[in-house]
Amino acid sequence: MERTPEIFDKIEGYLAHTLPEEEIIAFEKELATNPELQQEVEKHRVLHKTLSDQDTLDFKEKLMQISTTIKEEQNNLSAPTSAPYWKIAASIAILLGVGMLLWYTYINQHNNTQDLYGAYYEPFPVEDAMRGNTNSEEMQSVVKNYAKGAYDSVAVVLEKHPNLNNQLQLYLGNSYLNIDQEEKAVSLFKDIKSSGKYYEVAKWYLSLTYLKLNTPKKSIPLLKEIITYNGAYKDKATRLLNALEKNK
Amino acid sequence: MNTTEDHKILEGIVTGNEVVITTFYRKNLPYIRQYILQNSGNEEDAEDVFQDALILVYQKLKTDSLELHSSLRTYFYGICKNMWRNRLRKNKKMIITEKLPEDAEIITPTVIQDIEYKEREHIYRRHFLKLSDTCREVLSLLFQGNSMKDIAHITGYSEGYTRKKKFECKRYLIEMIEKDHAFQELQLNPEKEL
Repeated sequence: MERTPEIFDKIEGYLAHTLPEEEIIAFEKELATNPELQQEVEKHRVLHKTLSDQDTLDFKEKLMQISTTIKEEQNNLSAPTSAPYWKIAASIAILLGVGMLLWYTYINQHNNTQDLYGAYYEPFPVEDAMRGNTNSEEMQSVVKNYAKGAYDSVAVVLEKHPNLNNQLQLYLGNSYLNIDQEEKAVSLFKDIKSSGKYYEVAKWYLSLTYLKLNTPKKSIPLLKEIITYNGAYKDKATRLLNALEKNK
Repeated sequence: MNTTEDHKILEGIVTGNEVVITTFYRKNLPYIRQYILQNSGNEEDAEDVFQDALILVYQKLKTDSLELHSSLRTYFYGICKNMWRNRLRKNKKMIITEKLPEDAEIITPTVIQDIEYKEREHIYRRHFLKLSDTCREVLSLLFQGNSMKDIAHITGYSEGYTRKKKFECKRYLIEMIEKDHAFQELQLNPEKEL
């Protein structure tokens, strides 16, 4: 089910009992026959119920804060503090402090970026139509392996072929992403030319690769380009761009 | 067996006394961490279980439904262990080194049911707290039952921007929750509603 502002408004109105009588009847009628909508309403219901409990949220936040403080203390304790070298020790403590601060900022950003990658990345789907040199038996088995997620074997075979078409380049690039060889994925996705039909797809996966590499700054111009391109990935790109800008 | 010491800790938990909670945290986390690390978990799992179990105690105190038939520590460890066993069962990694659950009498079936029922809530809360400040502000006001007009008035945003933000933040939150492995496992093995 596609999520739209209108559906959200309706579900919220239904849960808050603020819909007019006739809209309630129509909504319940649809609800009775639409299991997807039932699931969606249930998600919203639990979300509202759980997160309206501000006290528990505050308590959880306090626990997170306490946990961070304890970890910081433990890290500081392990810093050298022997008396004759107090000056050195103090410098180290300051360096550790600054380092920790930078590290925490990095980890925070890193986690957010990785969460976004996790939220938006889906492997490029296997296409029914095989293009150009994909029709051999060897390529058939590559496609099969790709479809079942055996990315290692896809990479091993495709790497040996010097002139891959765009479709196979995308399969290979996605395989690299799944076996943590992002740098190789970058050069593959960059290689897909603007004249072909896979240009937009390649830009999308390139922007996700940069996200995985924790360099969201490089993703942003690509996402803007995709939005201007106004194709199939525009909607996703817009959402991801917004999320990245929120993270800044 | 509910000692004065335990009373003080319980009071500290329900009033959010940082000193009391920090002391409790510092004293008891190592034990839970050791248990979870020995039973297929990692540091992050240990922190999650520890915090989620404390939330369960907090909520029980708030609703006056905490029945303590042992020391607080025994009760708390019992909750943590049951919670972890439950999570392992859900993701089919059930390898527990312990032979017999030594807490069968302390942790009643009602508490076990509570642990199950709260699993989804922990996931929702964890992701909500990762949102940006703006998203949290707008969504908190929404969850507390405010209309778009009220939220716009309170935050100073325009009504159009508030509605847009509300939708984007909520959709993002739901997507993050859906991507969470623990949530997917709960969908496959749903807990019983109370």
